[in-house]
Amino acid sequence: MKISFNINGRNVKLDVDPMRRLLDVLRDDLELTDIKESCGEGECGACTIILDDKPVTSCILNAVHADGKKILTANGISKTRIGEILLDCFDQTNSVQCGFCFPGFYVTAYHYLITDGEPSLEKIRYALSGNICRCTGYKKIFESVIMACERLQEGS
Amino acid sequence: MKFIKPSSLPDLFDRLQNYEGRKFFLAGGSDINIQIKNRMIRDEPIFYINHLDELRGIQVVDDTVIIGALTSYADIISSPILKEKLPFFRNSLKLFASPLLQSVATIGGNIANSSPTADILPLLLVLDAEVRLLTRSKLRFIPINEFYTGYKEYVMKTNEIIGSVHINIDAEKNWLAYYRKVGSRQSLTIAKLALAGIMKLKENSITAIKIAAGALNEYPRRLTTTENYLKSKRKEDIADKELKEVLTEDITPITDLRSDKNYRFDVCLNLIKEFINSY
Repeated sequence: MKISFNINGRNVKLDVDPMRRLLDVLRDDLELTDIKESCGEGECGACTIILDDKPVTSCILNAVHADGKKILTANGISKTRIGEILLDCFDQTNSVQCGFCFPGFYVTAYHYLITDGEPSLEKIRYALSGNICRCTGYKKIFESVIMACERLQEGS
Repeated sequence: MKFIKPSSLPDLFDRLQNYEGRKFFLAGGSDINIQIKNRMIRDEPIFYINHLDELRGIQVVDDTVIIGALTSYADIISSPILKEKLPFFRNSLKLFASPLLQSVATIGGNIANSSPTADILPLLLVLDAEVRLLTRSKLRFIPINEFYTGYKEYVMKTNEIIGSVHINIDAEKNWLAYYRKVGSRQSLTIAKLALAGIMKLKENSITAIKIAAGALNEYPRRLTTTENYLKSKRKEDIADKELKEVLTEDITPITDLRSDKNYRFDVCLNLIKEFINSY
């Protein structure tokens, strides 16, 4: 089946099996290896992407779900102004340990920043509750998102 | 597996006529893709329906809130209509899965997948929701209470699909409501059990009560024996031993990888008591 979508600002057209996992299409066909696979069941958040303005786990979606849609991945986000600030905050708080869960957290946190942005620990914990870090670095991850919220509120 | 993407709802019904046997519908994908991965679905035809937007959305018609089958949990949570009319229902949904899964999981999918642990069902049961089933030329309403007949079995026929879920606009108005899901962690957990309840109290007497439980039977259901026992009882007259006896009539908890039957029974009992004593 022919599908087309916009990924990180680029229009792509592909001829793929519509039932193939979207994660595999993005990683293998488009070489977007910033998207990670861990649990493969939508429960860890390592493969999070933004699909039409909503953060979703790409391992439980099929290629057909992307047809006509707009996708943002960690790579695309890192080139935006807010994405740069968020990256700097993760860096400053030393939140990234082994790094495998990081792109997923980064995408979900970016979505929180652009849709809510309140530096509330409770809200941030809830927004990120679909992302799992097995180094258990949650505290620093939450701190970095709070820092990014505050920096955006200050307008820096 | 054969993949079918109908161009419209009428086209879906046309094509369904050619597939009498076992088949699956792909909406959000949050559960079906795991079943495919685990080889529980192999060669069966798969009908993609997620693009059929006439099955999506929330509206109020007369005294009914109508939620299209393809409406995601994220859309329900962010709906101003639900926030205003059914706040208990809406707030309970925030406990489901995780925000990432709420964006793709649909209400129709949760019902059709008919898992004994489906998060939405205890809530729909106490709110007396109805499911609207569609075929090419007919529609019918089934109370959610009569939808399931056994483990993963329901009254829906092979040529029918779930069109929408209907809840009365006053379903939770003036009721004291309770929902609690018990799992091994707060988010992203499959329920060991879940309990939803609504009741009316008058000077410590229970004048009306509806309780439904998930993950305790082959499909979620109302605990009618327990409801009848509790109805018109004063709170202080509820006896632990009697409550245990009536609850035994209503639930047949199983032991599985998530927890054992004694645990499930005791926790269910405790949740019912917590519900009543929280008001």
